[in-house]
Amino acid sequence: MPPVEKNRMQRRDFLKISAITGASAALDACGSPDHQLIRFIPEEDLIPGVATWKPSVCTVCPAGCGLLVRVMEGDAEVVRNGQLGLMQMGLAKKLEGNPAHPINQGKLCPRGQAGLQVTYHPDRIRTPLMRSGARGSGEFKAISWDEAMKRLMAQLSSLHSGNSHGRLVFLTSSLRGQRKNIAVTFTGAFKNSQYVEFAFFDERVVRTANAASFRHDAPPTVDLSQANYIISFGANFLGTWNSPVAQSLGYGQMRQGRPGTRGKFVQFEPRISQTGANADEWFACAPGAEGLLALGIAHVLIADKLRPASSAGAAGELVEGWSGGLAEYAPEKIEAQTGVKAETITRIAHEAAAHAPAVALIGDAAAAHTNSLFNTVATNALNALLGSAGKPGGIQFGSVWNSGSGKSGVQESSGAAAVQALAAQLESDPSSVGALLIYGANPVFATPAAWRVRQSLEKAPLIASFGSFIDETSILADLILPDHSSLESWIEDTPDSGSVRTVVSVAPPAMLPLHDTRPMPDVLLDLAHELGGNLATALPWKTYDDAIQADFAALYKEKGSKDAKAADDFWSNAQQQGGWWGPEEPAAANEPGGKSTAVPVKYAPAQFDGNPGEFPFYFMPFPSQMLYDGSLAGLPWMQEAPDPMSTAMWGTWVELNPSTANKLGIKQADLVEITSQHGTLRAPTMITPGIAPDVIAMPIGQGHESFTRYASNRGANPISILAPISVAGTGALAWAATRVKISRVGEGSVILFGASLREESPDLKHR
Amino acid sequence: MGHQWGMVIDLDRCTGCEACVVACHAENNIATVGDKQAAGGRAKHWIRVERYYEGDFPDVKVKFMPVLCQQCDAAPCEPVCPTFASYHTDEGLNGQIYNRCIGTRYCANACPYNVRFFNFYNPAWDKPLDLQLNPDVSVREVGVMEKCTFCLQRIKAAEIEAAAEKRDVKDGEIQPACVQSCPTNAMVFGDLSDPHSRASRMAASSRGNKLMEELGTRPKITYLQRESWNGDENA
Ligand code: SF4
Ligand code: SF4
Ligand code: SF4
Repeated sequence: MPPVEKNRMQRRDFLKISAITGASAALDACGSPDHQLIRFIPEEDLIPGVATWKPSVCTVCPAGCGLLVRVMEGDAEVVRNGQLGLMQMGLAKKLEGNPAHPINQGKLCPRGQAGLQVTYHPDRIRTPLMRSGARGSGEFKAISWDEAMKRLMAQLSSLHSGNSHGRLVFLTSSLRGQRKNIAVTFTGAFKNSQYVEFAFFDERVVRTANAASFRHDAPPTVDLSQANYIISFGANFLGTWNSPVAQSLGYGQMRQGRPGTRGKFVQFEPRISQTGANADEWFACAPGAEGLLALGIAHVLIADKLRPASSAGAAGELVEGWSGGLAEYAPEKIEAQTGVKAETITRIAHEAAAHAPAVALIGDAAAAHTNSLFNTVATNALNALLGSAGKPGGIQFGSVWNSGSGKSGVQESSGAAAVQALAAQLESDPSSVGALLIYGANPVFATPAAWRVRQSLEKAPLIASFGSFIDETSILADLILPDHSSLESWIEDTPDSGSVRTVVSVAPPAMLPLHDTRPMPDVLLDLAHELGGNLATALPWKTYDDAIQADFAALYKEKGSKDAKAADDFWSNAQQQGGWWGPEEPAAANEPGGKSTAVPVKYAPAQFDGNPGEFPFYFMPFPSQMLYDGSLAGLPWMQEAPDPMSTAMWGTWVELNPSTANKLGIKQADLVEITSQHGTLRAPTMITPGIAPDVIAMPIGQGHESFTRYASNRGANPISILAPISVAGTGALAWAATRVKISRVGEGSVILFGASLREESPDLKHR
Repeated sequence: MGHQWGMVIDLDRCTGCEACVVACHAENNIATVGDKQAAGGRAKHWIRVERYYEGDFPDVKVKFMPVLCQQCDAAPCEPVCPTFASYHTDEGLNGQIYNRCIGTRYCANACPYNVRFFNFYNPAWDKPLDLQLNPDVSVREVGVMEKCTFCLQRIKAAEIEAAAEKRDVKDGEIQPACVQSCPTNAMVFGDLSDPHSRASRMAASSRGNKLMEELGTRPKITYLQRESWNGDENA
């Protein structure tokens, strides 16, 4: 331990529930310092303390990077048996990447670094809660676990026995491994039930397209490390898209990791993203025209005899007109629609052909137009034509370990359309849903207001949430049974991109729980045993870690391992290492000359909601580097980390082109009103050269009404004003398909982190 | 000569992701100040990523550059300090003795890189966020100047371990938090007094230059400039 005098706190206090009802409170910057860490010696003379490193898994985005948690002894106020007391325990101090993990190889993104603050968040729900005021009022009272379980059991047992009418609906974020298996199996044991998965960035369009083109229902694993040419349509692959740490590792290698070879990177998108900012060439293509561009490049490759059309196999055949050479996509024919010059398209096709391996990516807004299934299938065909499907330096697919049997018979649906359908059903016949369980998803925040998800949930007979925070969705719950944080839990994860090795991450808890919480899977298992019957048979495990161990026994049986003699060794090795990973084995993705039996996908122009006369601008929400889809807005490190492109902190903004601002008489940081056919919001402007004059862009993430003291009532939520239309053929929300108008309201302000080194240094007087 | 710690930052790898920025907050007990103080320019980021736009739409180019204390060998922040709180360590680092600092802020004015941060208020962590604090790093009080230390606590830990094992610190053994997290491996830390260290070798690159070197500060960080693509040379 460091030579620090311990200042043991004597306070023994009971929790005051008012502190965790999600009310907004200003950050108190003038409280008392943390005396125990103020020292009177130079840092040089400090003796470092003793630390241990424990594996875990980052859960703040779907990439599933492996963690090493730096744990050191310390004193924490914890709740045990309803009593608050001081306990010396191992405390997570810092999250680091696990160097042995195939996806992130020791690295983390900024969001992963900040994941630590979830565990220590002052507004975490610390005990089970029961609604004590009107729905949505945020008034809850603390109850015991016994009482919480009794209340939930009462409703569930009458549904399970068929004594009461109505379905059990379980709404979760995208889950994996035994956590998902337990949730799905639990739900499926109810005769009448539905399991719904929802996450704003679920890569549903890319998955659907990959399933059609390559028979892999997964996002691609992108091998940038060996690529010599990258063509990206809107994918923010160095920021938030898919598996950003794995992709950044490959990108660094692509740029400077191979002596004498430096790959080229070209990005097409109407608003420059943090990723696009790194491109050698950036082109502002028209929103929704990405598929045309992909086929324009493909046309040149075929017409100029750089690649034969047949080499694209089934992925090519999936595009209507492929074998005919795509004459209608000739660069000069698509120039006007795409906004990219014919000669540029031709040049890029030739460069890509000459610098194999060349890879094409599509994601984010480019995959969120009404015609994005076409855009994505076209991009897949281009990859196949370039010879990059399933190949080093291209897009690859691994094989994913499937925990559990997965044959629960439950009606399983996912994506935005599933939430929309649930909302519609609740609104027309609320009693058809007997109980709604919610875990990890916040659809009230992350769906267009036009879907009326809040209003429909308000009508649900019973809502039970397993949430750790009062957010816009859990605030509607009748019961809250708070989960452990991921650092306090057993954890298993089976990511489906980021590595061509089969990855099954596993880790025991990195630290003891701070609060009176319980792991969601354990709560389900307890309920299952009490309900008995088919539930007890379907879920034989006593605890979640038993279930994970059983999964690893099955994994051992199927995959075995050279360095583990028995299942027990296999299991303990995996826990030490942070998981088990198979050999590097990319799956087959495409056969040149292969045939497709599917109906070819046809080009259709992207549809936009709102007529251009009244709503002249395309509205492009974009993922926030720090706040992601808004789920990280509650973390102070993320609020105060400057946005990479704008350096903005603690707020939101809308981006527009200088010429647009000029025309409308709008100045830097003016407050403007953005109106779609479905709503209005206000935000300050950020005038920037990296956006097309007919586009208005806005980060997703702020605009929470209720989500911790740091995020509540801060900024505006672009999702709320989106048009409720979907990407054809996928059930995904077309979140880049809304038109808006803009008008100046008055003066506003944006908080920037600037420095005098920069010319446009904002109003920083002193530092 | 003892160790001379230095760093190389490859701007051709850096993507502006800011993993380094948040890793630094987590490692070094940098307090967030909240929106009101941030609006007054009092947010603290020992490392920041500067972003430069060049050109007008549609011919826009962007450059990112992480900026942290350059650990100058001729550090303008040192001679101006009346209490010698800002001083030069044996291993060539610019150190800051917090309890000597009386808050004149002369050093911050003297530093041309704008990397020193003053505590206008006592830092505070809403409980239990205080549990995240790294016990190896002091918390800085009101009236005290702070800045990047190259993660001195990590340097110390590695040196103590090496000494116990009767060996020298190995090249690459020390990773400041920013270097460790960086997803593109854009940053390399090492001993510049060892000509064979990775950092020394990279610093000799023809792409290398130092930030505002003309001021005579003798920074110990070398930036490798971004390259442009030359298809035929690279083919
Ligand atoms: S990409 Fe970042 S947030 Fe996502 S799992 Fe990896 S470290 Fe965590
Ligand atoms: S960069 Fe600034 S703070 Fe760091 S040593 Fe140089 S003058 Fe001092
Ligand atoms: S972490 Fe690395 S790539 Fe990201 S901004 Fe910092 S130096 Fe650049």
